[in-house]
Amino acid sequence: MFSLAYGLWKYIFNKTEFHVLILGVDKAGKTTLLEKIKSIYLKGEGLTPDRIVPTVGLNIGRIEDANAKLVFWDLGGQVGLRTIWEKYYQEAHAIIYVIDAAAASSFEDAKSALEKVLRHEDLKGAPLLIFANKQDLPGVITDEELARYLQLKELDERPYKFQAVSAYDGRGIKSGIDWVVEQMERSKRTEVLRARAGLTGQI
Amino acid sequence: MGIVFTRLFSSVFGNREARILVLGLDNAGKTTILYRLQMGEVVSTIPTIGFNVETVQYNNIKFQVWDLGGQTSIRPYWRCYFPNTQAIIYVVDSSDTDRLVTAKEEFHAILEEDELKGAVVLVYANKQDLPGALDDAAITESLELHKIKSRQWAIFKTSAIKGEGLFEGLDWLSNALKSKSS
Repeated sequence: MFSLAYGLWKYIFNKTEFHVLILGVDKAGKTTLLEKIKSIYLKGEGLTPDRIVPTVGLNIGRIEDANAKLVFWDLGGQVGLRTIWEKYYQEAHAIIYVIDAAAASSFEDAKSALEKVLRHEDLKGAPLLIFANKQDLPGVITDEELARYLQLKELDERPYKFQAVSAYDGRGIKSGIDWVVEQMERSKRTEVLRARAGLTGQI
Repeated sequence: MGIVFTRLFSSVFGNREARILVLGLDNAGKTTILYRLQMGEVVSTIPTIGFNVETVQYNNIKFQVWDLGGQTSIRPYWRCYFPNTQAIIYVVDSSDTDRLVTAKEEFHAILEEDELKGAVVLVYANKQDLPGALDDAAITESLELHKIKSRQWAIFKTSAIKGEGLFEGLDWLSNALKSKSS
């Protein structure tokens, strides 16, 4: 009886844990973004941008929002390391793809890497949030301009959104995260992942 | 009460201590790395039976670095040093392709240890100066680093002999330790 009540209590009050992958080519600002997210939500000091070194592996950030626990996986974006990305796809609920919107020379690479991500079977249906980052820099393009430039074709079966942000001063980040949480909460993919986790007995 | 003051003091002045274990198969270069970090010199080493321990001060962190002998017969004793460890530096001889499978198995066995559950993982793909050494992407693949999903990890190409890559790794490690505790 107790376990039944406990189960019910857990069911009602336990927040779902979502895994969000932060991807993008090198120098897009993924780790700076992750640290900014941590400083916004955890009210503590995240690392300041001048301390951040290129990621060659995995950085993790855990935050809690009103209804959800979020685990961010920030993976290195250098060409040789992108092969690791797909190893994390299966367990990811959503993707945040970061683009340096002030570096036109990186757009081609960013576009082809993103297209490859979207084609991957393991990410089927995962909501996609594209951050047009570095809005604090001069010569940066807006989220709409970036969307027009990228002309992504494989977006049909997934919710997606372009959002202008600055990982440096924090603008746009919170509304982006709010969107992605809302999408994950009602995404079919979340149910599929939950069922799979239930089968193997882990969350 | 004293503890509270010590905590306050160290959070104000940024001095922290961290216990780091340097692990890896025999002849991976652990002892050479330890002394390169500590003295900035290459010392000639003999196989370690037991351990070497030194303190390295870097980026306001006092790293207490334990270098444990890597031979098969003494690997079971690694476990004695696991409690209170904040980070593991796992050293791989990137040119010893025959033993990469063993290196992988030992590595994942370490990660399973309860007492190391919270430790962050830094991998040194060492001996990059040798011909035929695999690069960081290839070592990532062979060690199956992607199976790590609940803790931070990073890999750096190093040459302990030439002194390359070691401090870049410690930069990452001090960031990882700071962001973990904040």
